[in-house]
Amino acid sequence: MILFRRFIGRALWRDPVRTAVTVAGLTLGVAVVLAIRLANTGSVRGFERALELVAGRTSLELVGAGVGVAEPALAELGWLREHGRVSPVIDRTALVLTPDGTEWPVRVLGVDILRDQPFRDYRLLQITEDNLDDVRPQDFLELLVDPGSLILTEQFASRHGLTLGGPARLVVGDVVHEMSVRGLLRDEGPARVVDGQLALVDIATAQWLFARIGWVDRVELQLFEPEAIDEIEAKVSARLPEGVQVQRPAQRGRQVEKMLAAFHFNLNALSYIALIVGVFLVYNTVAVSVIARRREIGTLRALGATRGRVLRLFLGEAAALALVGAGLGAPLGWLLAQGAVRLTSTTVNTLYVTSAATVPSLGLADLLLALGVTVPLALLAAAQPAAEAAAVPPIDAVRQIDPSAQARRASRRPQVVAAVAFAVAAWCSTRPPVDGLPLFGLAAALAVVLGAAMLVPALLSWLQRVGRAPLARWLGVEGLLAHANLSAAVSRLAVSVAALVVSLAMLAAIAIMIGSFRETVAYWVGQTLQADLFVAVGDRAPVGAPLTISADTEAQLASHPQVRAIDPFRNVDLPYGPDGDLIILGAGDFQVLLDYGGLLFKAPADARTAMRAAVDADAVVVSEVFANKHGVSAGEWISLDTPGGRRSFKVAAVYYDYSSDRGLVVMDRRTFTRHYGALRPTGMTLYLDPDADPDGVRDELLAAAGPDTRLFIQTNATLRQEVLRIFDATFAITYALEAIAIVVAIMGVAATLLTLVLERRHELAMLRLVGAGRRQIRRMVIIEATLLGALSQGLGLVVGFVLSLILIYVINVQSFGWTIQFHLPVGFLAQSTLLVAATTGLAGLYPAAVAMRTSGGDRER
Amino acid sequence: MRGWRFVCVVAALLAVLDVMVSTGVGAQDRGATTSDGWRQATSGYSMAFPRDHGSHPDYRIEWWYYTGNLESADGGRYGYQVTFFRVGVDPAPENPSAWAVRDLFMAHLAVTDVDGGRQWVAERLERGGIGWAGARTGTLEVWNGDWQAELVGESHSLVAFDREFGVELSLDPGKPPVLHGEAGLSQKGETPGNASHYYSLTRMPTTGRLLIDGDEVEVFGTSWMDHEFGTSFLEPGQVGWDWFSLQLDDGSDVMLFQLRRNDGRAPRLAGTWVAPDGTTRIIQPGDIELADGRRWTSPASGAVYPVEWRLSLGDPSAELGVKPMLDAQELYTEESTGVTYWEGAVEVSGEVEGRPVRGLGYLEMTGYVGRPMSEFFR
Repeated sequence: MILFRRFIGRALWRDPVRTAVTVAGLTLGVAVVLAIRLANTGSVRGFERALELVAGRTSLELVGAGVGVAEPALAELGWLREHGRVSPVIDRTALVLTPDGTEWPVRVLGVDILRDQPFRDYRLLQITEDNLDDVRPQDFLELLVDPGSLILTEQFASRHGLTLGGPARLVVGDVVHEMSVRGLLRDEGPARVVDGQLALVDIATAQWLFARIGWVDRVELQLFEPEAIDEIEAKVSARLPEGVQVQRPAQRGRQVEKMLAAFHFNLNALSYIALIVGVFLVYNTVAVSVIARRREIGTLRALGATRGRVLRLFLGEAAALALVGAGLGAPLGWLLAQGAVRLTSTTVNTLYVTSAATVPSLGLADLLLALGVTVPLALLAAAQPAAEAAAVPPIDAVRQIDPSAQARRASRRPQVVAAVAFAVAAWCSTRPPVDGLPLFGLAAALAVVLGAAMLVPALLSWLQRVGRAPLARWLGVEGLLAHANLSAAVSRLAVSVAALVVSLAMLAAIAIMIGSFRETVAYWVGQTLQADLFVAVGDRAPVGAPLTISADTEAQLASHPQVRAIDPFRNVDLPYGPDGDLIILGAGDFQVLLDYGGLLFKAPADARTAMRAAVDADAVVVSEVFANKHGVSAGEWISLDTPGGRRSFKVAAVYYDYSSDRGLVVMDRRTFTRHYGALRPTGMTLYLDPDADPDGVRDELLAAAGPDTRLFIQTNATLRQEVLRIFDATFAITYALEAIAIVVAIMGVAATLLTLVLERRHELAMLRLVGAGRRQIRRMVIIEATLLGALSQGLGLVVGFVLSLILIYVINVQSFGWTIQFHLPVGFLAQSTLLVAATTGLAGLYPAAVAMRTSGGDRER
Repeated sequence: MRGWRFVCVVAALLAVLDVMVSTGVGAQDRGATTSDGWRQATSGYSMAFPRDHGSHPDYRIEWWYYTGNLESADGGRYGYQVTFFRVGVDPAPENPSAWAVRDLFMAHLAVTDVDGGRQWVAERLERGGIGWAGARTGTLEVWNGDWQAELVGESHSLVAFDREFGVELSLDPGKPPVLHGEAGLSQKGETPGNASHYYSLTRMPTTGRLLIDGDEVEVFGTSWMDHEFGTSFLEPGQVGWDWFSLQLDDGSDVMLFQLRRNDGRAPRLAGTWVAPDGTTRIIQPGDIELADGRRWTSPASGAVYPVEWRLSLGDPSAELGVKPMLDAQELYTEESTGVTYWEGAVEVSGEVEGRPVRGLGYLEMTGYVGRPMSEFFR
């Protein structure tokens, strides 16, 4: 231990910059991995926590096919009483307009207040001004008779100036309801959902408010014998009528988790890039210290240290770095997670599910994960240099050693590894996904990265041979010197350069993928968005909490003289297939779509004819994602759950869609109503007379709707922009993760350069002696840095291109199932190349300054 | 008569509604109790059966009340009570939802194991909703979940089970229906209209089975059924009541009650004498004397109930002592309706017109705990 402290500790201490860079790199790597992990858990946990709070003591629940349970079916379920207490529930979202002028989404729970009490721990705080403490259910009675009553949480009411007995305005879809606050819930049980954003109403009121007369969203069951849940679930399941399923409340959480799995998996994978780059730095640090201290190692060996002891010393160095990195990275990760949640929650809320994501607190498990991932990786990275150190013979203590002697020891081994890696990559990219996750695709990407990294030394040697003349010609004597310096240090630089190449290749690949995706989406939007106006309620409806358009509003829109046709659409979430994946079932007016719309069909060739046959028939069109994920093609039949039981629908056509990775099944409005009942639409597309001015009509429609309207109408042009804006917001986190990885990598290059500079103190002094100016020295070092940057970017672009093909054609297809047209974002790549060169040049400033100081100091001595 | 404790709930509800109307908070205007569409119990109504066993949805309040003393083949003694209530809330709800509350349906189930010294109680509170509780018109069919009373031929079939206890009984009508008061119009307050239509089946031979603590017992015995409907019953100043239904071994049956007041005035008394042949006689208030005796303190609610009574009647002359089969027959309903009361099987002994008699019956005592009823009438 003393030896470790003296030999390793002191050396790390004496080279603070490199040690700091390595630790910082690891810290950032660990932090990013943890941040994404925490943020991902946070978004699912937020949903699950709300689920648990609302579910209360519910053991089982009965759900219908996407649209809930119809009352006639419910009336037949009296026998459920044998197993436990039964409570029908309507569970929705609405907005409360508060007296302070703000509006807040609230979860509206509609329950049979008379029988729901045992299910949830809500306690009415007050019901009259008498301030009664615990109110019995009979006091809920007044809530029953007045359909304008609602109960809010004490927390929410006091925060927004709402008072007991006072008015509250509740916005459901595009209708504002004047309600009154009849009770306040104490801050416990479901009242704790999302900062108390919960409203409780009677189920009759809820049915009326949300236009669900005749339906309930689900039926909850609290078992008398919760320990026999498995047996009872099976019994209930066997006795339920068609169209009603029994599940556990946590099932909804699992469905959401599954829905987000691909998105989260890819974010996770991306987050590991920064850590891998950090591990490269560990390798670099250990390797450099082994090379630089060959004589000392020799001395140690001569003094009796065994090989094993030397090996342990250097592995110890890596472990120490990893421990510090993980220790610092964990709290930093938690901080970063706050930002990551903000970045990802937009995406999650836009595309998947509304949940108030909160970052869970840092647990022991997270710390263990940080250590468990970082320390082994660091040890693995240090294994080779440490083994080399252990192989140093004692004689080296007295032998004059050229630190760069290693460079000349040419070895073919890396090229062989590279070749094998590329072969593995090629094989992996033909493998199918594992459990819906692109594991082989990622393995392929990893293999390409590994292969590229292995090629870096050979490439550097080759460039060393061909680069001398051009450098001398373009950059003069400093260029020549830079070339000489870099050539001398190829083996050591190779690692830093490889790290940078890996990061830059990833960036290039992701840029190409996103650029291609964006082009594809832009083309799709251009083809598909044909309507003139798009009507919705609010500027964006949260997923799972549809904001509906009332019948009055629909009639008003249709009555505008320049509106030629209206296509109202409605989506519901529907479990599909053996795993119960949540797909989106949509209803639209096929006739209007055929006459005016512009779906982009993939198959069959005469898709329009097929779709015409699907009007008011038991037929559907499905998105490409759905077809890929579930192996369905045009002309086949699929089974969908409906409130009346499982029904077969013919797949009339497959169309391109980029609005969701969950898979869409769309049927004609008439077909939908026949099977699922009439639901108010969540959006409408309006087709106008050819000579109409969309902006003008939009203004007229909004004016007719009145100043308080909740309607949000977009023209074709603004919606297209909006789609691309959402697209860009979705990928913001991707760029953020990548940027962090690149920062780590550039720090690595700077650290390596610094090492070189420090080792070359004597040479630099000599240069000064032979007449080199301080500025020339600086220029030389900056040229070295910039050269490395440009080189890395060049190689990064090539590798990135290959990676992007894997991303687009393997990983994307396996995790999302989209067709992405390949497109090179030339402008972006050119910009990033310049930027990387400039940044590495800048990163060279510090080593350059050190070089100037050292060389100057040497001269004065 | 007996269901007045539920009337407390209704009164509370009405009080709330009145506040809502007077402060203009209510979404829709609801008038006074009698002007919002409910029918008053007035004279001139003519009872007919089985029609009047059925529901009377025009009236706000209605109940079907079954109690009885039963025994098993091995001599075990049991008491039971099954009650169904309908309380009108809004005769025509504005909300088209099936869950909109027109009526509330409540039910109580109690079984007393006299020899085991234990009573079991369960209760239900439901809305009509999608038919999980309700009552038919035209004939007897009233249900709350899977608890129900219905006419099977001439017999009343009663089924009500909780998880550990319950009853499944068949009750023969026995004597013809006894119409209380003036041809079934039972005046409850001093104001006209504060009355109910009220009849009883006072001696119903009963067979069936009980579930006691998970064990089934075959039983036989005698039951008493009350059915009462009206719209407004109560007046301010009433704190509670004591009610007796007694079946004597000479074949006579007696119904008696006193309404206790808190304004210092004497209790309001009423009664009906049913002869063995089914003929009835109103017992005049002046011919009734009720004296309470031994007291029992409920460990659950802290209420002190006079569980023993002496009844003195003038015409026919009778001296009767009433003792509980079991002291602990309190229904402590903190969980739902919140009205706590004592209702239990009793045995009676004494003499009628100088002849010794014994008998069985049921006693109900309310207003001994909690908020006095008068509070609901502020």
